[in-house]
Amino acid sequence: MPGLIRDLEALLDPRRVFSQPEDLLAYMNDATHKRVMPAVVVQPVTSAEISRVLSYANTHRIPVVPRGAGTGLAGGATPGTESIVIDLKGLRQVIEVDKQNLTATVECGVVTQKFHTLVESMGLFYPPDPQSMLVCTMGGNVATRAGGPRGVKYGTTKDYVLGVKAVLPDGEIISYGGKSVKMSSGYDLARLLTGSEGTLGIISNVTVKLLTLPAYRQTMVAVFAELEAAAEAVSAIIAAGAVPSSLELLTKSSLETIEAFMPLGLPKDAEAFLLIELDGHEEKVKEETQQIRAICQKKGVTETKIARDASEAERMWLARRVLFPATARRAPNILIEDATVNRTQVPAMVRAIKRIAKLNHLVIGVSGHVGDGNLHPGILTDRSDPELMRRAEKAMGEIAKEALNLGGTLSGEHGIGYLKAPFLEWEFQSAGVNLMRRIKHAFDPNGIMNPGKIWVDGGETHV
Amino acid sequence: MYRLKDYAKEINRCIQCNFCLEHCPVYIEDGLESSVARGRLNLIQALLLEKTLILSDRAGVLLNRCLLCTNCTQGCPSGIPVDDIVITARVELQKNYGLGRGKSFLLRQVVNRSNTTNIATKALSLARRLNMVPEEFPEVVSPSFEQRVPSIVKPEGEIRGKVGYFIGCATNYLYPEIGDAVIKVLTALGYEVVIPANQHCCGIPALAHGELGAAQEAVRWNADLFSKLDVDAVITDCTSCGYMLKVKAAKTLENNDPCQSKVASVAEKVVEITEFVTREGLGHNFKLILGKSKDLERMDVTYHVPCHRAWSPNLIQAPRKLISMLPAVSLAEMNEPQRCCGAGGSFFVDHKDLAESILDRKLKNIQSTGAEAVMTQCPACRYYLRGGLEKKMPVFHPLELLAKAIHLV
Repeated sequence: MPGLIRDLEALLDPRRVFSQPEDLLAYMNDATHKRVMPAVVVQPVTSAEISRVLSYANTHRIPVVPRGAGTGLAGGATPGTESIVIDLKGLRQVIEVDKQNLTATVECGVVTQKFHTLVESMGLFYPPDPQSMLVCTMGGNVATRAGGPRGVKYGTTKDYVLGVKAVLPDGEIISYGGKSVKMSSGYDLARLLTGSEGTLGIISNVTVKLLTLPAYRQTMVAVFAELEAAAEAVSAIIAAGAVPSSLELLTKSSLETIEAFMPLGLPKDAEAFLLIELDGHEEKVKEETQQIRAICQKKGVTETKIARDASEAERMWLARRVLFPATARRAPNILIEDATVNRTQVPAMVRAIKRIAKLNHLVIGVSGHVGDGNLHPGILTDRSDPELMRRAEKAMGEIAKEALNLGGTLSGEHGIGYLKAPFLEWEFQSAGVNLMRRIKHAFDPNGIMNPGKIWVDGGETHV
Repeated sequence: MYRLKDYAKEINRCIQCNFCLEHCPVYIEDGLESSVARGRLNLIQALLLEKTLILSDRAGVLLNRCLLCTNCTQGCPSGIPVDDIVITARVELQKNYGLGRGKSFLLRQVVNRSNTTNIATKALSLARRLNMVPEEFPEVVSPSFEQRVPSIVKPEGEIRGKVGYFIGCATNYLYPEIGDAVIKVLTALGYEVVIPANQHCCGIPALAHGELGAAQEAVRWNADLFSKLDVDAVITDCTSCGYMLKVKAAKTLENNDPCQSKVASVAEKVVEITEFVTREGLGHNFKLILGKSKDLERMDVTYHVPCHRAWSPNLIQAPRKLISMLPAVSLAEMNEPQRCCGAGGSFFVDHKDLAESILDRKLKNIQSTGAEAVMTQCPACRYYLRGGLEKKMPVFHPLELLAKAIHLV
């Protein structure tokens, strides 16, 4: 495509078109391991510029891969060969925070944590808190339905999207939804684009719902000798109506990984370490904390501890926060799974993961958002070892299958990308996937938008 | 050892999380992922390990557009020593393609300062011709600090300990007032200060340019000089010299180099001056001295945290602690005190526009504090901030403030 670069340089500020291999190298992958060099990277700063690029790509049938911060764990931002990567981090204006209506409208490249800081400074609250929020973008969060620990009480990104502005492959710009909390008008295009992983169009602006910042927080830990007892406690806590804002599980293997990295004096014989946070009105939070402690005691907890102040809470959270760096130091590549099951199936899922690890001679750490059944098995691997990589991918398929067998879903908050694309038919059968293909065709008849993601032609490739 | 094969494993440890996007001052300005640690590591891997790319001008530009500020390393979940890897790549490039004879010669001259200020003056004029220092760069002081201080300075009264003082090039040639403050405070605290003659540059400027040979020369010389001293600690007033002596020096030599034991014995004793004077145990004596002092005039000071801080755990709290002990002085914290100022040693010379845009952000943060002065322990930051603030606001080392508080200067 000799004219490609020249044409794009005419469509955009030429200083925001990058085609030298030294620059392209940085865009060959997201947080997954496959690396493919795109033809060019462009950095539009307005939806009009996105529109010009898409319309050009559509005319010339050139595949396009939208990209936020490149932190995705399913490979949704991995380029295809000869593709145009559209780096969207330049659209970073917060257009409005509306305190009266409790909504905010942002451009897709706004960094999630910066958005948190902004709205919290105004006494407002935007709950979705993916692990990568330090750098990841609001647009990327919407495109993958990202979530985090607060999902158990507050849901994930999908639960906050009120409206989107999106550029379609032919360059048309559509808007759907806005500040109205109620909307019963036409097909819900905002929902359709949410979680579309760049396969339908490019989300350039998002309007999200906000909450008011909870006045009080309380953190506590509960240590269990048996996983089943912990799972029972989790179900009982939620059934009692005392829904924590976070309910995180660290299993024995994670506790060992953390202790090896940073000795925090975590319990050695515990099979389950629950980290629980509650938020809301002080009196209610305090009451629920006692209620949760009583439930845990009834279920045979070996130890509970309630943070007396912010610094103690901080120390409790430290264990969870260092899990990622602690795990990162154990292997050059980690496939972080996010298969999700009903919370009552968590013990069965954890057992299955252990079995799969043993069968494939792999180290798989298990932790996760146990309150919503969203586990994060972390498969330690190394992309320079093809045989190990093959076993890791096989295990990934087996974990996915197990989650589905237990009535769960392939992905709780990462999306499908290319990594789980081979498994999609297991979840939706060919009828479901075919409908998705037809929907994509209606948006993107030439198939330029992020091809090869969410499903693959040919179905199952592993297991 | 700064050899690529020693770092292949480290590069491979990058889990590609891209969290470095938040920490890189260069990325914050240019928004390009090839400017970030992950992009750079992937480039170095392709260029020098997998050899799937050949060296190009663009690769050179990208590898040189790193401040070696270590902010990415400090925020890296995998703890990858990105600055060491970039240095290694520069050493490799330097070995194969060269820096140009002028710069190489100059870096060697800078390292060896055992002669006279005369050489430094000549070196500076050469540096000016090579565009390695900006127009407005100050003239070197003559005589240099080293030349005018005695080799041993004893305290009045009882000697409570003995310390060596490593004089960095900035204190020696540009800011001797820092050196005066250091010696006066140390002796006031009861320390005998030993200042060996013929110290060399710590070697970090040469290393940053990939001039490994010159850095090795500096490391060997200083290790020899300081390992001979019978002292409790080796004091540095410069956070980059400290980083070099404490962490990087050993990496410049082969593991089995006979000089390693000397390097290690010095590294063990290196302490940054503000950390030293605010250490537990010194505190009591220190408070007595402060207690005797008359109050300074009321003043708000803000603190710019140097990038080379991770080598010493309390280095960033020590100046704050110091301020808290001075009743008349208050600390006005700036936003993002740890964000790089753009100086990056001599980075600002070769990357003027980029460095200035990084600086602008810092200046805004400084100015919005309403403080009357800035303190920092890094002389490059001091020089660069002073230029940026156009002398509207003084920039000084925390030790100067302390010396003033106890009426030593």
